Amino acid sequence: LPACLPAQHFIAATACQEPDYGWMIRHYCLKQFQLSMEGIGQRLWCDWDETVGTYGELTNCTVLIAERLDCYWPNRQVDEFFVAVHRQYFRNCSPSGRALHDPPNAVLCPFILLPVLVTLLMTALVVWRSKRSEGIV
Amino acid sequence: MRKTTQSCFLLIILLIRIVPSLSSTVNYTDPTLEPVVTENSVIRQKIIDSQFKCYERMNRAPPYKKKGLFCNRTWDGWLCWDDTPAGKITAQNCPDYFPDFDPTERASKYCDETGNWFRHPESNRTWSNYTLCNSFTSEKLKMAFILYYMAIVGHALSIMSLLISLAIFFYFKSLSCQRITLHKNLFSSYVLNSMFTIAHLIAVVPNPGLVKRDPVSCKVLQFFHQYMLGCNYFWMLCEGIYLHTLIVVAVFAEEQRLHWYYLLGWGFPLVPASIHAVARAKYFNDNCWMSVDTHLLYIVHGPVMAALLVNFFFLLNIVRVLVTKLRDTHRAESNMYMKAVRATLILVPLLGIQFVIIPWRPENRLAGEIYDYIMHILMHYQGLLVATIFCFFNGEVQGALKRQWTQYKTQWGQRRREHCSTRSTSYTATSITEVPVYLYHHDSNNEQLNGRYAEDSELVALKSGETS
Repeated sequence: LPACLPAQHFIAATACQEPDYGWMIRHYCLKQFQLSMEGIGQRLWCDWDETVGTYGELTNCTVLIAERLDCYWPNRQVDEFFVAVHRQYFRNCSPSGRALHDPPNAVLCPFILLPVLVTLLMTALVVWRSKRSEGIV
Repeated sequence: MRKTTQSCFLLIILLIRIVPSLSSTVNYTDPTLEPVVTENSVIRQKIIDSQFKCYERMNRAPPYKKKGLFCNRTWDGWLCWDDTPAGKITAQNCPDYFPDFDPTERASKYCDETGNWFRHPESNRTWSNYTLCNSFTSEKLKMAFILYYMAIVGHALSIMSLLISLAIFFYFKSLSCQRITLHKNLFSSYVLNSMFTIAHLIAVVPNPGLVKRDPVSCKVLQFFHQYMLGCNYFWMLCEGIYLHTLIVVAVFAEEQRLHWYYLLGWGFPLVPASIHAVARAKYFNDNCWMSVDTHLLYIVHGPVMAALLVNFFFLLNIVRVLVTKLRDTHRAESNMYMKAVRATLILVPLLGIQFVIIPWRPENRLAGEIYDYIMHILMHYQGLLVATIFCFFNGEVQGALKRQWTQYKTQWGQRRREHCSTRSTSYTATSITEVPVYLYHHDSNNEQLNGRYAEDSELVALKSGETS
């Protein structure tokens, strides 16, 4: 039993060395990701439906290695790693093209203002016409 | 229309809740609060999606320019956090990945004085505070259920009372006049609005399978729902314009031509509803168009608010004219205020002013709950209120009903004597119903403004100085 204690101490001391973690994800996970992305083809890198699976696997891989090395996920290394991946593969993609979002203000405002103006015009028209019908006996 | 947003959010929480329980796989009392890669693929998809967007944002956002220590932007596994100055707590809305997470609550993260993100003392790992996200959810769900059933009951009661009122208006031909015609149209639009709302609440909201399939029919239902919402408020505007023309513009008005009112009430709401449908299909084509997170809803709600605002100004003008007229009679002040107040209170439900005056939800939890209950009652029981005030409390309607009742009583009495007498009762019955309404308007002590001769009776009352 006293022999176990130094062993435990040894494992605790090697828990989550961040540089090691960084190295491992770059050498294991990134390689797989690179192969998949080349298989998909550069033209389709911005198509989220195509790349979502591969991206998910890359994430999974980093999680597994974090578990293996007893690191918490996510961490600073993960952030830096993914930022680099995005810079390399998704640089030219339109940002968040997938999610539903409102159109830009230049399109949204006319869409909203037009019905409001037409409403006010119609109201004025009806008020004017109902006034005028007084004169018609 | 924030109340709509609030009620829709609660209904959407309900919608998510009915899905077989997808509890988060994280133990919140555990200080590690480790976002594990969950088994459920839908949730995982959402999280991966957010992760992608986060790193995109981290890549594209300009570097931190301000002086002093700061914590670096980071992805914590669930949410994206920007560069934050040291010593500050930053917060954002909770994610909606899990059924028990409330997206209106706030998740927070503390950047300490040394420029590092807060680490939980027990585990020494970087930790964000998601505890508020699911701490009140069970109470909120209970309240969402209560509000949901309240809404359905309110609309059902409204439909019943409105149909009864319509039956009364159609049956008693003696009541017919232009204002009653406008009432009939207003009531019809309320009935249709309630029917579409109930259809939406019962068929779409608790049915996530339908929402997932996203058939065209549920979008068509939404289109008609928005159209009927517009019709409701535009018919209220028509009533306001009619009253304004009647009272302010020309008191002894000849018959107005009603086709412009029909156009404004039934025809015009097609315009915002169609524009909304087109914009939604093009820019925000979510399943069943259920999301309330989009500003595109203002395409319908903007004109509705404009109509309410215009109505409000007409109301003020009408009240001003009424008060001025009353002041000219040299009566005691109390009488004048009483009449003015009564007149205003009669018009308020008619013109839906409560939406203009109380649009903001208080931050306090208890006050917010009370606000929700009150707004739900005002919104969903409005049809019942309108039917009651403009039909059941109407003196002329009450008079007509009383006459009908006495007529039935005489009929019953005569039928008992029928075998003794050969005289037909139908002659007497017809002659009673054909007596014109103006002979009876002195009996009516409420609702002087209803009916064709309203302004006459009001001026008669003013001149003779009688209290009514």
